[in-house]
Amino acid sequence: MGILSKKIVRYILRNLGQFFAAVTVVMCGIVIYVAMSSSYSNLKQAKDDFYSKNNFADYYFHCVKAPDSVVGQIANVPGVRSVTGRIQKDLSIIKKNEERATARIISYIIPDDNELNKINIIDGRLFAEKIGGSIPEVVLDPRYYTANHLKFGDEVSVIIDAKEKYLIVVGAAIGPEFIYAMENSSDILPDPEKFGIFILEKRQAQQLLNMTGEINQLLVQYEAGAEQNITIEAIKEVLRPYGLLASFPRSDQLSNAVIDGELKELSSVATVLPLIFLVIAAAVQFIILRRMINNQRSQIGLMRGLGYHGYEIIIHYIYYALTIAFTGVAVGVVLGIPSSNYFSKIYNTYFNLPGNLQGLAIRPIILGLSLCLLISLLSALTAARGIAGILPSSSMRPEPPKAGDKSWLERHIKSLDKISVGWKMTIRNMFRNKVRTLITQLVVIFAVGLLVCSFFLNDAADFMMRKTFYESQNYDMTIRFDTMQPERELLNIGRIDGVQNVEAFMEIPVRIYYQGRYEDDVLIAYDTNLSMKKLENTKGEQIRIPAEGILLNQRTKDKLGVAVGETVEVETLLSYGQTNWSKTFIFGSVNQMIGAGSYIDLRQANQIMKEQDLVSGAMLKVDEDKISHVETEINKMLEVSSILQQRKEVANWEQLLQTLDISTGIISLFGILLGLAIVYNSSVMNMSDRRREIGYMRAIGFSVNEISRLLFRENIIYLIFGTILGLPFGRQLVAAYMKSVENDLYTLPVIIYPRTYVLATVGGIIFVLIAHYLSTKDIRKMDLVEVLKIPE
Amino acid sequence: MEHKVILKLERVTKIYEMGEVKVEALKETSLDVYAGEILVILGPSGSGKSTLLNIMGGMDLPTSGNVFFENQDISSGSETVLTHYRRNDAGFVFQFYNLITDLTARENIELAANLVAKPLPIDEVLKEMAMYERKEHFPSQMSGGEQQRISIARAVVKNPRIMFCDEPTGALDYQTGKLILELLKKINKERGCTIVLITHNAAIGGMGDRVARMRSGEIVEITENASPLSPDKIEW
Repeated sequence: MGILSKKIVRYILRNLGQFFAAVTVVMCGIVIYVAMSSSYSNLKQAKDDFYSKNNFADYYFHCVKAPDSVVGQIANVPGVRSVTGRIQKDLSIIKKNEERATARIISYIIPDDNELNKINIIDGRLFAEKIGGSIPEVVLDPRYYTANHLKFGDEVSVIIDAKEKYLIVVGAAIGPEFIYAMENSSDILPDPEKFGIFILEKRQAQQLLNMTGEINQLLVQYEAGAEQNITIEAIKEVLRPYGLLASFPRSDQLSNAVIDGELKELSSVATVLPLIFLVIAAAVQFIILRRMINNQRSQIGLMRGLGYHGYEIIIHYIYYALTIAFTGVAVGVVLGIPSSNYFSKIYNTYFNLPGNLQGLAIRPIILGLSLCLLISLLSALTAARGIAGILPSSSMRPEPPKAGDKSWLERHIKSLDKISVGWKMTIRNMFRNKVRTLITQLVVIFAVGLLVCSFFLNDAADFMMRKTFYESQNYDMTIRFDTMQPERELLNIGRIDGVQNVEAFMEIPVRIYYQGRYEDDVLIAYDTNLSMKKLENTKGEQIRIPAEGILLNQRTKDKLGVAVGETVEVETLLSYGQTNWSKTFIFGSVNQMIGAGSYIDLRQANQIMKEQDLVSGAMLKVDEDKISHVETEINKMLEVSSILQQRKEVANWEQLLQTLDISTGIISLFGILLGLAIVYNSSVMNMSDRRREIGYMRAIGFSVNEISRLLFRENIIYLIFGTILGLPFGRQLVAAYMKSVENDLYTLPVIIYPRTYVLATVGGIIFVLIAHYLSTKDIRKMDLVEVLKIPE
Repeated sequence: MEHKVILKLERVTKIYEMGEVKVEALKETSLDVYAGEILVILGPSGSGKSTLLNIMGGMDLPTSGNVFFENQDISSGSETVLTHYRRNDAGFVFQFYNLITDLTARENIELAANLVAKPLPIDEVLKEMAMYERKEHFPSQMSGGEQQRISIARAVVKNPRIMFCDEPTGALDYQTGKLILELLKKINKERGCTIVLITHNAAIGGMGDRVARMRSGEIVEITENASPLSPDKIEW
């Protein structure tokens, strides 16, 4: 080891606390970067590979019914590379315990070599090509399979045309279209006990569903370089005679949209947050080095006098910054890998992807290291740039003592003359070290902001839960029928013992047209006297269902660019019966946090459907102790396709909140570590710069605690401004973050509970107190005689 | 004449351990400081006078032996006792002034005044030191002599029973040094404050009521001045 390297190593060993403070900041950035980037690249890679190996379709077309032969016609449309025709239909499941669930039946062609959306068997086997027995074989998605404790050879029953039909489970499979298996976009979370993908061999499915020789869904993959819009229009033309319903690109496919949303969120966190940490790390290294160089002017002079080149001395200081960067990256990578595995584990529980998503992504590590080295190099060069110009003689003289003066603040605010001497010392010291003060203060503001962000996650989820389950709803159960039913059916439900009240609804998937643009949405129809659900406009004011016109979802309204009072055209997209067209006007807009959904009066919905008194489901208010009884009774009705209990949904949410606790814990830990590192660093420098003052004050009779309190004032100022500015900054950070991750599936409100502000403030107090304790604990050990010996 | 002992050192030793080398800076030194006197401790560099002053002033602890201030043992090692002593009974004047650069002259004095229950009025002390006009100046705007006067004012404002001055003229020119010594003499006379002054300048010994000479960590001689000189009569 060269002499200069030894000098740096010894400096680090003598000032370990300061070294680790800087390392901590680098480490936090790298942990976040490695964890998030690895998770991102693992998830993205797994998804992309899966999509490509399993021929994930580019576009989806639904129609009421079309002959198998239409597949050949579409295959001939210019721009189409492959096409798969299949049946997709939702059916009710009757579980062993009589509970209801929904099966999304998907027909599957074997051999599947040239088909789209191929599946991978992960347990059991694929259905036999020639089925001997009369009971069709079914392959399930793994979540439903596991959640319902099913195994090879088990029977499951579904309702088809009001009759119970049996299927034999032969395996579980994953597929690119149900990586995230959720029934529809208005659900908040997947519920594998209530919803499953049921894959049947195509002819079996056709036979079972009385659709022999027919299909109702086409999946298409484009040829490279295809004129996609022309191709889509051509396909629609082919399908129009068969009752063309919804059609959408891959980006709107629910499972894909959820994963893309997650990837977007990961990538924005993985880019912005580490970058901020690294910028802070650069700033910290800059202030440490600048001070070190100032304090070592005579050493630098000596070295230059001995004949060292300026650049050799600069390199010597650069080593210090690079040591910080290397150590920070090393620790960051070591901690980042298990964090990345932790995130991957969470993704594994939500996403059905092949492999376990784990694995070390080398790219972010190399990139992180390069970035850290680069910023360390830059900050060191900036701090050391003056060295080369210093003549040996001038740097042999110590830097003259800083001239004391009144601070800018005191010169402008006369009343500050009256503050105590201790406060004056504090303010003047802070103003004298402007760069250090400014950087420390900005980082404390950021750290408090980060704490706000971390606790906000819980607020948002809790707010959404409260709003959805407690404030805007007043029912205990939702039931849905497999097809529209006459409203009088509800009378039977109302008569069940324990049911207090029943309110009907109708859900119609629609396409809303306005001035050449269109958006798919779901019209949810209630009676105008709706009492079990509250609707809110964008201002949070309660609004009622109008007798005429639509309360349009704000997101749909924004996309269409339609104003209140204007007329839109509505096309129904039900998978049965005829397509209906109708014109209506926009009555107002409604704020919907999750999923799609615009509101309309039940009678008007019937008019759109050209029907009378039909409903598709109902909300029930039930005696608390009779909920199970009511569910059992309703389970006996074959036309009911699903029953949702609010309390089970709440339990699901609470489970999600628990996983959020860990994220909150990790982010707040980083916030506290960051604040701790910066305040500690500043305090240590302060202590060391003021050693003589402190020694002198002890000599004239200040106690250790009094001096500690005096030094603490600086940290109090950081804390006060850190809180005053950090809390609103945190709010802005949250808003920017929400904006960056907003998608069609949900809009999270920027709701921050007062509790979060209190917690962030407490977090700030904690890191300031710890930093102060760590940096001043050695005052007691200070050798007064030694300190006071040195002349200024 | 019977003297009242304000500070008493009994067989005080101080050994510094520097790695494997032990340096005995004070060798079983005993000394009585009388209330109201000016005691000048003379000695060359390395004779142990600063070590002795630091132990007397409660800034350092002896390796063995005892130090009593008005019969209270201040060498027990208790931080509370030492802080109380430095705060309420002792005042310090250093060779390099040790003013706080961020505070004005008046604020430096105020910092010390805030430590005691009944400080002297700051402005009066400033006038006494002929520094009232300079009270709003920062240390960097003052000459060495002015800084030392503020340093003395800062010690005086607490109205201490005893003042320790460590080479108070060491960093000053001849004329200014004499002015500072005059001030110290005045404080001793008018306020009855005991003054212990250490110096290597033998001429200053002339102003002390007693002079203790030190060599190699020992007091080799204590002499009484029957008629101490006025500082303006001292030449060096």
